[in-house]
Amino acid sequence: MSAGAGSARGWAAHTDRAVVAARVILAGAGGYAVAALATGWLALVLPGSRAEAVSAATIASFAIMAAAVIWVFAARTLARAALSLGLVAALLSVGLWLAGAFQTGAPA
Amino acid sequence: MNRPQSVRQSMAWLHTWSGLVVGWVLFAVFVTGTASYYRAEISRWMRPELVHSNLDPAAAVTRAAAFLQTTMPDALGWSIRPPSTENPAVEVYWWRDPAGPYHHALLDPATGEQANVRDTQGGDFLYRFHFELNLPPIWGRWIVSACAMILFIALISGIITHRRIFADFFTFRRDRSAQRGWLDAHNVAGVLALPFHLMIVYTGLVTLSSMVMPWAEMTAYRGDLLRYYAEAGLMVPGRPAAGRPGEALPLGAIVTRAIAAQSETPEMVVVSSPGDAAATVTAYFVELPGLAHLHPQIAYDAVTGAEIGRVGEAGTATRTGAVMVGIHEAHFAAAPLRFLFFLCGVMGAATVASGLVLWTVARAPRGAKPEGLGLRLVRFLNLGTIGGLPAGLAAYFLANRLLPVNLAGRADWEVRLFFLAWIAAALASAFYARTRAWSLTLAVPGIAVLAIPAVDALIVGEARFLGFDAAMAVLGLLLLVGARLASRRRLVRRRTEAILHRTAEA
Amino acid sequence: MTAPALVLSLLLAFSGFSALALSLERHHRAVFRSPVPRSRSGGLRAAGWAGLTLSFATAIACAGWSFGPVQWIGSLTFSALAVVALIAYRPTWLRMAALAALPLAALTLPLALPG
Repeated sequence: MSAGAGSARGWAAHTDRAVVAARVILAGAGGYAVAALATGWLALVLPGSRAEAVSAATIASFAIMAAAVIWVFAARTLARAALSLGLVAALLSVGLWLAGAFQTGAPA
Repeated sequence: MNRPQSVRQSMAWLHTWSGLVVGWVLFAVFVTGTASYYRAEISRWMRPELVHSNLDPAAAVTRAAAFLQTTMPDALGWSIRPPSTENPAVEVYWWRDPAGPYHHALLDPATGEQANVRDTQGGDFLYRFHFELNLPPIWGRWIVSACAMILFIALISGIITHRRIFADFFTFRRDRSAQRGWLDAHNVAGVLALPFHLMIVYTGLVTLSSMVMPWAEMTAYRGDLLRYYAEAGLMVPGRPAAGRPGEALPLGAIVTRAIAAQSETPEMVVVSSPGDAAATVTAYFVELPGLAHLHPQIAYDAVTGAEIGRVGEAGTATRTGAVMVGIHEAHFAAAPLRFLFFLCGVMGAATVASGLVLWTVARAPRGAKPEGLGLRLVRFLNLGTIGGLPAGLAAYFLANRLLPVNLAGRADWEVRLFFLAWIAAALASAFYARTRAWSLTLAVPGIAVLAIPAVDALIVGEARFLGFDAAMAVLGLLLLVGARLASRRRLVRRRTEAILHRTAEA
Repeated sequence: MTAPALVLSLLLAFSGFSALALSLERHHRAVFRSPVPRSRSGGLRAAGWAGLTLSFATAIACAGWSFGPVQWIGSLTFSALAVVALIAYRPTWLRMAALAALPLAALTLPLALPG
């Protein structure tokens, strides 16, 4: 906490409270969504047996979520954070679709 | 419209607020989790009637099966733990539905009847509280998982923010301002045990991952969890019930085969679809030496006793996950290492507590300005949690000794008294004079905890409980020492506000 | 993982951390009442890292590659805590304690090593 209570409070005071609240929601919901999509995608594309891919993806999921959350708060503007998270989510969704996640029936 | 601020400032804000929001819950999670390293010892202390016997485990299991047959012959499953050094009684569960409710009993290994032991949840209450907060399981686990993720964020943002992490590694300035002292204490506790903190929070999340992050198996297996567990080498593949009755062998005979196959007594025996023609008996053995939480398992046909499967070999990724669960629970740890984990858990609780106190100290208004409502609320919650939880624990252990042994619903009363004492201690702290609040908040549970060994010596007085009693004595003394330190008037040198802010900046 | 092995690992880590702490200006001043001489700081750093490395080596030798690293990290935490406590409350004792740790470690060595 070397930056100190003073300037930490300064960050929030200078920033619109609603924006801070928006970052919190984006970080929580958006971070989880990105982690969930990434975990699903990794489970399908990681090499090795299916069970191993699932294990590896699950272990990595929390680091992915943490990275997304930190990014939302470190990003210079809320818009930047939202757009980049949205872009990642969209790419992952496309990746999932390409890997066959949305097809019905028994998995390959 | 936000003005761009530095990453360090945003991380400082994130660390401060994420830490505060979950600090109270995390303190309780750390304390009960740390206590859980000694769950078996606590349970033994709380069931003084149980004494170790050297009875044949196979015979004990057969008697337990007879009990379960009488109690719920059409169960979906039975689970039986043969007597062990951890628990001399036979612990059984039975259920009709995988979602519960799970019925539980402790049986006498010699008779197969309910053991003549006082009704108590023992150390299991603290263990379950650690990840469920005594709430309905799904709610509790989600809340704890969310708090754990927020803690993980607090750790990362704390690392990014801590500017002089190496230069300040050994720094604890107790002779400067209160804020400086608490900041140093928080940094020391946080940094020195940082590998443990990072490990414990991440492995905790992985341990609960099947509930909070099931998307990998949902996507790759379309939700067929059992197939994933079987293919990963975590479980023996199950088989569905035949739907017609079958005559099972005495369970002890199958346990004997399992003992012969693995050269050790199984830790637990689970019967799936008892009474069915396709009933299966799965023997779970203690984890192999090493960090990984992987149990060897052998499945037998309940009717013929033939071995029908063993758990598969776990691959690297699955093994890594199992190591993570293993390190979190530290089952593998022999006494010295377990004590080390325990001390690290204490440091974790100390990091959270010092952070909470630092939060109020750093925002204490200068001069004669009155405190805001928010600050008063945080201070009240700090007192209520850091002082209240030890009071609750003291009440839980004292109740175990003082409540009549044959009281109906005894186990529920012990838990009720835990919460009542916690709440009472928390509410009382609101009425203490401001300058004496911490001193009293720590002294009251300190005295209560010191009463535990005294009460135990008077009521039970067995030499084998000396370790637990000694630990309680040490805990009580530490609380009283804390109360004493809190009551000594600190010499805070008068400095100008600018200098105070500058030292906080450093 | 036996108690003597843990104690040995702790003592070596304690010596190492003491040396590292003393190589820092602020703590050297607290203990010796004088700034760190340039010639000394390098030596102290080297001794410090050597102590930590030896601590790691003994942890692996006594407890294997599986439990060893876990136990070593625990040793680091508590030996560092001991150094912090000494510097904060009894700085002049640190030098004595760090020097005493080495012969104590030598005494523990035969008890700790397996076989």
